[in-house]
Amino acid sequence: MLVLLFILFGGLAIGCAINVVAQRNPLYCAISLIGVFMALASLYLMLAAPFIAAVQVIVYAGAIMVLVVFVIMLLNVEQEEKRRIRMGFLVPAAIALAAVLIAEVSFLLAFVDSEPLQRSDVGLTRSIGPALFTQYLLPFEITSILLLMAIVGAMTLARRTGELSPRARVVPGDQMLALSEIDPTTSHEEPGTIEAHTTSEAARVLGITDLRDQTKRDK
Amino acid sequence: MDQVLDIILRFVAITVVFVVVLLVVAYTVLAERRILGFIQGRLGPNRVGYGGSLQPFADLLKFILKEDIVPDKSTRFIYFLAPVIATMAALMTMIVYPFGPEVTLPVIGSIQLVVARFDVALLYVLGITSLGVYGIALAGWSSNNKYSLMGGLRSSAQMISYELALGLSLIGPIMLAGSLDLGQIVEGQSRWHGTGWLILFAPLSFITYLIAAIAETNRVPFDLPEAETELVAGFHTEYSAMKFALFFLAEYINMFTVSMLATTLFLGGWNVPFADVVFGRGTFLFALVSVIGFLLKVIFFLFLYIWIRGTLPRFRFDQLMSFGWKFLLPLALVSIFVTATLIFLNVL
Repeated sequence: MLVLLFILFGGLAIGCAINVVAQRNPLYCAISLIGVFMALASLYLMLAAPFIAAVQVIVYAGAIMVLVVFVIMLLNVEQEEKRRIRMGFLVPAAIALAAVLIAEVSFLLAFVDSEPLQRSDVGLTRSIGPALFTQYLLPFEITSILLLMAIVGAMTLARRTGELSPRARVVPGDQMLALSEIDPTTSHEEPGTIEAHTTSEAARVLGITDLRDQTKRDK
Repeated sequence: MDQVLDIILRFVAITVVFVVVLLVVAYTVLAERRILGFIQGRLGPNRVGYGGSLQPFADLLKFILKEDIVPDKSTRFIYFLAPVIATMAALMTMIVYPFGPEVTLPVIGSIQLVVARFDVALLYVLGITSLGVYGIALAGWSSNNKYSLMGGLRSSAQMISYELALGLSLIGPIMLAGSLDLGQIVEGQSRWHGTGWLILFAPLSFITYLIAAIAETNRVPFDLPEAETELVAGFHTEYSAMKFALFFLAEYINMFTVSMLATTLFLGGWNVPFADVVFGRGTFLFALVSVIGFLLKVIFFLFLYIWIRGTLPRFRFDQLMSFGWKFLLPLALVSIFVTATLIFLNVL
């Protein structure tokens, strides 16, 4: 029963992995990759590591791949066109590496004793949790700080307010306002645009202290 | 022989759960229309059968008989795949919820009233739920329609944002129960004659969960992905007949799922207060009362959903995002902090 399931999910993983490389539409590649992750999660489950399997589904299939699909959808990536193979020397290299891999696997299968899978507690949540918070606390905390740095970095890169350039590009969610719309006293020939998150922010950048000042607007 | 019996029992259990889920979902749709009618001072569908009781079947017939239109420039494979993913992801979580205590039956012997019980049931639910977003996102993209695409993108952003708050709100009950196994979490709540519900110990988590769950299922007031006033029908604008019905089904099954999870984690699951005093543990009547109690709690949550839909207006998209990130997420963190402190001080 277990062998049958292994063949099923192993085959699924390999098939999906080949499909990732072979497909020309990037969205199909992404969906195949999700299939690979799901098949791998099933394999983890069969290796008595349910926690790893669940985390595989939540993190890879449920979060990272959603972002990938999201980006592909947003950028509307076109189907890749067939073209001549560049860097042809990589083909024999790939064949050689594949031969090494197959040799390794056959060596393992032939000469290394394979004990039948023992029921172990290593993959269970109640054994991973304590290990993570006692023995491996330092790596765990360092990883957290690394992730926090990435988040803070992304925030600082994304939020550059107050900067102004007359040729600023439109950022989704931001407001583009013609100068003359806020301050009628400016000339209409060269409207110029400013970038700001809100109307009041735009007014502050332009030096208009009171947006509702009717005297200025009515001129 | 035992193994064969076990497999047969599991198939029976899956079939029973599946049929019950579909029936409850069908009648939730009817109840929603009737209750919304009552809230808005009109009648709602009451012509088919007594008081409209056969309306779900009439609707099903209509869905089957409608013309199935596929847009010309859609990406066909993904267009067909999307509703399948949505429905499958919704249905797959059904198997882990314990809907009753262990019961001894003649011939079969002692069985647990759950389809599958395993160590990481809660993580499994989270994982499968997070796959549901693909159905909506891919549907929006493959339809080749700007409203569909907008709906799909909104939905992806919304579900990723609220998944965090949802996951964090589950940590309180997990810490209190000390397990990710839903069966164990429910059994932990049966102290004090079945009144040791976790909502008493983690009310903040409960509120966070309730709000995040509504957002996860794309219901009013968080139904931005299908906001009729701005996006026609959102991600399923181009879907018709049975394919639309599958999305519809997935939405209501998701409602049912989050209601079951809320019941299991916070309202004691199948625990009915003082049922063990009246009927005695392990008896058939006790199990029956427990199953009915579980269903009633779930139905209460479904009613709450409909009630909220009839009461609250829709958020704007930026309000939705800032609410999720600036209010709900910190609230979930605070609730974790409070619960952890109380556990650390041995108060709970």
